[in-house]
Amino acid sequence: MKVEFPKPFKEKYERLLGEEYKKLEACLFIKPKKAIRVNTIKISRNKLLKKLKERGIKLKQIPWYKDGFFVESERGIAKTLEYFLGYYYIQEASSMIPPLILDPKEGEKVLDLCAAPGSKTTQIAMLMKNSGLIVANDDNLERIKALRINLQKMGVKNCIVTYEKGENFWKHEIKFDKILVDAPCSGSGKIISSFSSINLWSQVNVKKLSILQKKLIFSASKCLKENGILVYSTCSMDPEENEEVIDFCVKNLGLSVEKIGMKKLNYHEGILEWNGKKFDESVRNAMRIFPFDNFTEGFFICKLRK
Amino acid sequence: MQIKEMSKDEIRKLENLLKKNYGARIKFKDKIFKTSEEKIWLISKEALEFDFSKVRVNSAGLYFGKLKRNEKIQLSVEGAQLVGKKARKNIAIIDEENLKKFLQGFDFSAQKLIDCDINNFILIKYGEDFVGTGILRENYIENILPKARRIFLEVKKV
Repeated sequence: MKVEFPKPFKEKYERLLGEEYKKLEACLFIKPKKAIRVNTIKISRNKLLKKLKERGIKLKQIPWYKDGFFVESERGIAKTLEYFLGYYYIQEASSMIPPLILDPKEGEKVLDLCAAPGSKTTQIAMLMKNSGLIVANDDNLERIKALRINLQKMGVKNCIVTYEKGENFWKHEIKFDKILVDAPCSGSGKIISSFSSINLWSQVNVKKLSILQKKLIFSASKCLKENGILVYSTCSMDPEENEEVIDFCVKNLGLSVEKIGMKKLNYHEGILEWNGKKFDESVRNAMRIFPFDNFTEGFFICKLRK
Repeated sequence: MQIKEMSKDEIRKLENLLKKNYGARIKFKDKIFKTSEEKIWLISKEALEFDFSKVRVNSAGLYFGKLKRNEKIQLSVEGAQLVGKKARKNIAIIDEENLKKFLQGFDFSAQKLIDCDINNFILIKYGEDFVGTGILRENYIENILPKARRIFLEVKKV
């Protein structure tokens, strides 16, 4: 059976990636490794590693995160006692990056605007050592159910779950030190783990999502304290959902892009032009992760300061 | 969402209840609130200070357990993990076969009971981990693990 990208996707990404397009196509035949994150709220890294080793589960350190591990063995990582007890969370390796860039501290007030099902929220809670406040918001009650189960299982005490439209959250006039906007997106970065995500992809949908994403980042910027940090992320590789949103934020909302980096992580800089639109120079400081960079899902991450 | 912060006196009563039922000397450092007369939640100080009237709050904090009649308390899995570390009584130690039954939602039995009261909530321990709670009956332990938490255990120790 011949497996290839749909024509509009192929044409767009050939244009975006040039020579590197072939690397993206090759990802269709690669299965990404599952990954877990140690939940240090409940157990130390060494203790968990010992327990999983006893179960015959082989792990390999994720190079850019000390509490993240690739799962090397095929055994059921979602069917262990340790998983039941909330000693670890099954989380895609690149999805562990946005909370690390946000770098929340103990006692801070953090908003996770599009939180469900909670992989990043529970990681933020862990980084804050279960102190301070996280407001985990979502506008989908089914997904909130999953979020609540995950927060409970991970032993999170510093979180309040709210049910509001993210784009209207600013109307409540609550201010935060740090905000994560992990925006709903087309999921084009997921091609490595789910080919079906590409069958759902369309340029019309990308454009619709880009409008919603600008509304979300507008709302988040209004909720941010002066000098506060906003991290914007998506699992999309489409410039309309990423650089275009950041450019809108820089030019209209007065936020500035900060340079980010992470040791032992391969990534590309943000692009500065797409479809005739020129983006602000600072957009270059965003992090664009393609599936072929680290054999994880694709991701876009940008850190902004008010 | 209606929440009521527990007073120092109420927290002291809760600590005494845990000592009476599980022999656990616990001094709560977190703030504690109730969402009804029975349901108890742990929460960070800063989270409790949040103005709950400003937004539609769906839930808050960590569910610890539910107060029952006759000075008993039904702990959540996380409540059992917290209390278990300091518990001395009402503990059932189980083997792998019974752990599987427990995690799948079936009634099960213990290999060893430590100072247990019949018809009371008991802590379930497997190896060094406290995995939840059950109710000790005459010849078995009644499973009260919520459906959403049940799993089919696959990976054995090698």
